[in-house]
Amino acid sequence: MTLSNEALAAMVRPDSVHKHVYTDPEIFALEMERIYGQAWIYVGHESQVKKTGDYHTTRIGDQDVIMVRAADGKVHVVYNRCPHKGAKVVPEGDGCTGKFFRCPYHAWTFKLDGSHLSLPLKNGLEGTCYDPANPDFSMKAVARVDSYRGFVFASQSAAGPDLKTFLGGVASSIDNLCERSPVGEVEVAGGTFRVMQKSNWKVFYENLHDTMHARVTHESSFVAAREEAKEIGEMPFELLIMDGNGEPYEFWEKLELRAYHNGHGYMEGIFDPTAATRDPVSRDHFAVLTEAYGEEKARQIMGMNRHNTIIYGSGSPHTVFQQFRVIRPVSVDRTMIEIQTFRLKGAPDAVFDRALTYANLINSPSSNVMPDDVEVYKRCQEGNQTRGGDWVSLHRYLGTDQETPDGMVSTNGTSELPMRNQFAAWKQYMLNPPTQATPNQTASTEAGHAAA
Amino acid sequence: MQLLDRSFDVSTVPVAGATLSAEALRGVEQFLYREARLLDERRFAEWLALWTEDGRYWVPRFHDQANPFEQISLFWEDKMLREVRVRRVENARNWSQQPLTRSAHLVGNITIEGLDAAGHLIVRSTLQLTEWRIEQRQLAGAVFHKLAATDDGGWKIVLKRVNLVNCDDVFANLEVFI
Repeated sequence: MTLSNEALAAMVRPDSVHKHVYTDPEIFALEMERIYGQAWIYVGHESQVKKTGDYHTTRIGDQDVIMVRAADGKVHVVYNRCPHKGAKVVPEGDGCTGKFFRCPYHAWTFKLDGSHLSLPLKNGLEGTCYDPANPDFSMKAVARVDSYRGFVFASQSAAGPDLKTFLGGVASSIDNLCERSPVGEVEVAGGTFRVMQKSNWKVFYENLHDTMHARVTHESSFVAAREEAKEIGEMPFELLIMDGNGEPYEFWEKLELRAYHNGHGYMEGIFDPTAATRDPVSRDHFAVLTEAYGEEKARQIMGMNRHNTIIYGSGSPHTVFQQFRVIRPVSVDRTMIEIQTFRLKGAPDAVFDRALTYANLINSPSSNVMPDDVEVYKRCQEGNQTRGGDWVSLHRYLGTDQETPDGMVSTNGTSELPMRNQFAAWKQYMLNPPTQATPNQTASTEAGHAAA
Repeated sequence: MQLLDRSFDVSTVPVAGATLSAEALRGVEQFLYREARLLDERRFAEWLALWTEDGRYWVPRFHDQANPFEQISLFWEDKMLREVRVRRVENARNWSQQPLTRSAHLVGNITIEGLDAAGHLIVRSTLQLTEWRIEQRQLAGAVFHKLAATDDGGWKIVLKRVNLVNCDDVFANLEVFI
C-alpha cells in the first residue's frame, strides 16, 4: 500500500513533523524513490577515478552504482548490474577494470559507458532479439550525470533541474573549498572512513545545523579537552577542535544559518577577516593564495568561515578543514557515513596535515566527539518507536527567519530554520514523484520555504 | 604538534635480532597480559602509566599502511590524546558510555621480532577482542608493541600498533582503546 499524498502532506507541519517520517519503512521506501530517485546525489569526486577504467562504487539511495572513467576522459555512472543474470559486475570498493567491464559470471563485456561490447558464443543467440544496440543487453546508465568543479553528481530522473540550478546558493561552499587551492582544484586523498549510525538519515542532516545540541550532547568531549588543556597549560589544535562545542549559548545565537532551496544550507556566514593570519599554517596558506589571487581575494577566500554545509541528499562538506561527510541511507534506522578528506592542490603540505588530523580526531570511528552524537540519534530513533507522543518539534524561532533572493536566513543562530527548510524540500519531493521523460517536470526546483 | 612529527619511527620491521632469556621472555608476556587486563578492567590511569612520554598508539586504516602521516588512521594518538580519551569516557555525561563498553582481550602467539633502530624490543602478538556495549562486537588482529626497557627491569610502551583484520570495514564507533 502506498501512502496517499494527503497522508504524506499531513506529516510535515510548519512547526513540527510526524515521527513516522523517521520510523516507517514504507516512508523510507518512498524516499528512495521520490527523493533519491530524482534529486542530484553526490557519487564521488573525479580525482577518485583518475585513469581510464578506474572505478569507484557507491550508492544513490538504495541503488548500487559505479562511477567510472572512460577512454574519452568522461566520467560515467552506471548501475552495478549485468543485464544477463543481474550479477554485480564489480565488487564493492575502488579499482580499475581496464578497457571494459567483464562480468565474472558469463563474461559478458561492456564498454565503460555500460553499452554492450560482446559475449561468448554469440551464435547461441541467433534468432533472438539479441542486438548489441538493444539496451536490454547493456549495463544501464543512471539517467543524468554532471560534475561541478570535479564533484560528480547523478540523478536517476531524466527530467528536473540541471545540477547548477539544483545546487543554487550552496554551490558557493564547493567554490570556496576549491578556491582554497591556489589552482582552484582539490582531490580526494588520504583514504575514506565509513561509520555506521543506527538512526534514520534525516536525523543526521538535522543535527548538522543544530546549534542547541553542541554544549549539551558534547559535554564529555569539550570538558575532557578543557581539562587536558588546563593540565598541560596550552590549547593546541587537537584540543581546540573539541573545545568549540562548549561555547555558551550566546555564541551560538550570534551565528548565521543560511537555508537554500532543495533543503541545502550552511552554518555560520560571518566573515572572519582574521582567519587568514591566525596561526602559522593559515599564514603560509594565505601567502600561497595571495600569490595566486591577490591579497584581497585571498583574505576573502580564507575569511569565508563556514562550518557544516548541507547538500540535501548528498551530505555535508566542511570547507575550512576540507572534509565531505557523505550520508548514505541504508534502511529506515541505519545510515552509513563516508568521510572524504581533500588535498588542496598547490597548497602547503601543512594544510593537508591539518585536514588529516581533523579527519582522524573528529570524523573517524574513534572520534571523541561523534559517539555522543550517534548515541542521541539512536535514542531519537528508539524514543520515536514509543507511544509517548507523535510529533517532533521544530518550533525554535519559527516565523522570524528572513527571506533572501535565494532562500532564507536566520535572525538567531539557534533557529530551527535548517530543519524546517529540509522538511519543506522533503515534502516537495514526496508529493511530486519523479515522472519519467516529461521534459517540463521541474518539481524539485521550487522546494519552497514558504510551504512549511 | 607531536602527532605530525615524522621523525617518530613507526616501523615494526626489526633492524637487529634480539635474544631473550626464558625469564625475560616471561616478563614481556606478563607485561602484555597486564596491559590487556588493565583495559578490560578499565583501569585507565594505570594503563596510561605503561607508556613512555612520547609513546604513540596507532591503529592503521589500511592494511600495510606505511605511516600515519599521509593517510587517515582509525587511531593515531600521543600522550595528550590518550589522556583526553580517558577523561571523556570517565566523564559523568558520557552519553555514549551508558552503559559502558566492556571488553575481554585475549592475547596470544607472542613472538619476539627483534630490535628497532633505537634498540626498542619489537613484540608481535595476536589479539582476539570481544567488546560489548548493548550488542557484542568481535575485533581481531596482529598487535606490534615496541617496548623500551626501564631501569627497574620492566618495560614501557613506545609504540602499540594494532593491525585489525577489518581495518577497511564500516565501523560503529570505537570509543575505548583496542
